[in-house]
Amino acid sequence: MSHNTLRREIVKMVVHGQNGHIPSAFSIVDIVEALYDKHLNVRSDDPDWADRDYFLLSKGHGCVALYAVLHQHGFLTDADLELFCKKGGILGEHPDMTKVPGAEASSGSLGHGLPFGAGIALGLQIQKKPNRIFVLCGDGECHEGTIWETAHVARNCLLGNLCVIVDWNQSGQQLLPIDDLPAKWSAFGWKTMVVNGHCQNELHEAIESHEFHTNGVPLAIIAQTVKGKGVPMLEGHGPWHHRIPNTDELAIIEKALQ
Amino acid sequence: MSAVSEQIETPKVDANIRLQFAETMLSVGQADPQLVVMVGDISHFALQPFAEACPGRYYNIGICEPTSVSMAAGLSRVGLYPVFHTIAPFIIERSFEQIKLDFCYQKLGGNLVTVGSAFDYSNLGVTHHCYDDFALLKTLPNTEIFHPASAAEFDSLFRQSYRNDKLSLFRIPGKPHGLAINPDKIVAGTAIRIESGSNLTIVATGTQLASALGALVQLRASGWDPEILYIHTIQPLDIAGIRESVSKTGRVLVIEEHMENGGLGDSVLRGVHDLRPFQFASISIPNEFVTGYGSYEEHCETLGLTSAGILRTVEIEFDLP
Repeated sequence: MSHNTLRREIVKMVVHGQNGHIPSAFSIVDIVEALYDKHLNVRSDDPDWADRDYFLLSKGHGCVALYAVLHQHGFLTDADLELFCKKGGILGEHPDMTKVPGAEASSGSLGHGLPFGAGIALGLQIQKKPNRIFVLCGDGECHEGTIWETAHVARNCLLGNLCVIVDWNQSGQQLLPIDDLPAKWSAFGWKTMVVNGHCQNELHEAIESHEFHTNGVPLAIIAQTVKGKGVPMLEGHGPWHHRIPNTDELAIIEKALQ
Repeated sequence: MSAVSEQIETPKVDANIRLQFAETMLSVGQADPQLVVMVGDISHFALQPFAEACPGRYYNIGICEPTSVSMAAGLSRVGLYPVFHTIAPFIIERSFEQIKLDFCYQKLGGNLVTVGSAFDYSNLGVTHHCYDDFALLKTLPNTEIFHPASAAEFDSLFRQSYRNDKLSLFRIPGKPHGLAINPDKIVAGTAIRIESGSNLTIVATGTQLASALGALVQLRASGWDPEILYIHTIQPLDIAGIRESVSKTGRVLVIEEHMENGGLGDSVLRGVHDLRPFQFASISIPNEFVTGYGSYEEHCETLGLTSAGILRTVEIEFDLP
């Protein structure tokens, strides 16, 4: 599917629901699509299938991207998207795993998805199961102490079935400029790779080059991304983080996504 | 509820509850391959028999309690029964959001086993005290709070509850209450009537059952006929049993090693508030930090968490019929 198709779906949801974080979703949508298109062994007709791979969106505020991809892959219906942030719907501004088919974590408060995912990885290691766990974190989220607690624990527990993908769109560096994420993950002993987070081939190559193993080295993919990628008006760290476009702005966005 | 293995023998009344925790993990873990134990670098040596008997299911994670709680929730997500054990404030207070979101909001079951609650680690000071655990956990849906003050209670309540879909807290006190209780009467969520009486209900939890028992003779000599209800399950609380007693006696005194705000006393008062007329009093930790030093017993003495404290409170607060 064209990347612009998913981006148009994201904008449509946000405008209709009058809620959502468009730039954060545009930052990660290529990553999420790449995972579901090529790597995650999941079943939309059986979201809790025991042999599935796990994808945890730890930066839950980017969830409209996840919803668009879950819709694309048959986990969600048109009606589900129509009710985004509406009474009676199952989709909110952060994913609720007890409501959303295919959502593996109820994220929103930052710093929870990775340790929760590490627990899933440890549980699968204990049960000697080959399922893989992918956790997508934000670079600002990497300010949270639990990220580094988990980095430390996961390496020592040899959670080689765990992959963290960091959406490195420089949000964190707006606040704390000294932020060499590849060096940090490397220092914790993770196999660390830097890719262009909007180039799905680079993501595919990084994931395929790694041997996932229940007793191995965990993988950190530092994905260089652009917040708001795809629409110049939205790109960067300005006022668009949680802004809903008006009619005129929507026309500009739609033109950019044609 | 489910029990995959049966309790083998009743532990002695003065048995160390923390050591019973290790023995119960060994016994249950050998029968149930889904039990996984994580610790925050305490009880490590006591749990070595479990670690040896259940390879790959024991983890001394280290000093990172919030991550440990989240990881325990992850274990639960894939069908295992996690137990995370460390000092109370580092689980309940430091990791509160992880309990709230990763377990309770996500509707995942699990088990937290604490030591060092209230002021059990008296001389370690406020950083190692935790007298708000009942209050905090009571605010979270899908939780159970157990306060087993004997080895037999811990063993029984754990076996009854560890596989259910609740987040269960087991608060292990440093000192057992010392009373032998019929194992058949140890039922999660059910108060135990230790003494029957007619004009005063004493609701005691934890080690303070000993204080209630110690006050009996003098209370009776003063004309009181006390009924003692022992509470090992703070949530769900046996409101029906407490109401039945207070309906009869018209007076209730609650004694607990928890701060006044949000403790057992609050729950009892809420549960019986419409049974008028009745009189209520509680002995608890004031809503202040316990900053003094001394032994556990000396802290109890200072706070009135003693038999003498009960006698004093009864004399001041209640009218003898």
